[in-house]
Amino acid sequence: MIMSTRAVTIVGFVLVIAAMFLLEFLARRPGSRIPTVGQWLGYLMRPRIGRVLVLLGWWWLGWHYFAR
Amino acid sequence: MATGDGPRPPDRPSSRAGYLPWPGRRWPRARTAAIGVALAGYAWAAGAAEPFSTTSLVFVLIPGVVLAAIAVAWPPQRIPAPEKLDITGMFYWVIAVAALFEWEASAWKDNSLPWHPSLTDLINPLLGPHLVKSAAILLWILVGWALVRR
Repeated sequence: MIMSTRAVTIVGFVLVIAAMFLLEFLARRPGSRIPTVGQWLGYLMRPRIGRVLVLLGWWWLGWHYFAR
Repeated sequence: MATGDGPRPPDRPSSRAGYLPWPGRRWPRARTAAIGVALAGYAWAAGAAEPFSTTSLVFVLIPGVVLAAIAVAWPPQRIPAPEKLDITGMFYWVIAVAALFEWEASAWKDNSLPWHPSLTDLINPLLGPHLVKSAAILLWILVGWALVRR
């Protein structure tokens, strides 16, 4: 079976997003060295500029998907 | 990025000073429920707004302004961020995020919706039903609140 490029693109997105869920699952195991999303985002948000940029990114996502 | 090889610190709420509506008292469940209902109603109304309209823009602006005001004027008790991250563990995330951006950029650069749809092209149709869009908006607001607490 030959996949269309559209199917390849969609499978690529599904694989990457599934990998992120897997990483979050692994990060929540006791003693894991992988940080959770909350931990690395919290780390990025330690300086004020990081906090501002992460919150701006969050707002941009809302604007992009819900206002457009 | 400061990194270390030790186990990651526990994810506990901070005992640092932060805004509490009633210091020393628990947040009443009735108030939590009322806020939940209000947010769900807001998300339902926002989900009905026509895309590319001033109304939809205002519905997205309000949570941003409110959360920014809370973060600046009444910062809630923050969950302490780790002092450092394990470099190997963090690298897995860097790879995953970079792969997502690369895949999105390649689809966007190709500019061929039917053959190489971007993530936005794939997600927008899923947000068509009012209920789904409202649930997504509610989730977006809750994520914003979680970020303010970080």
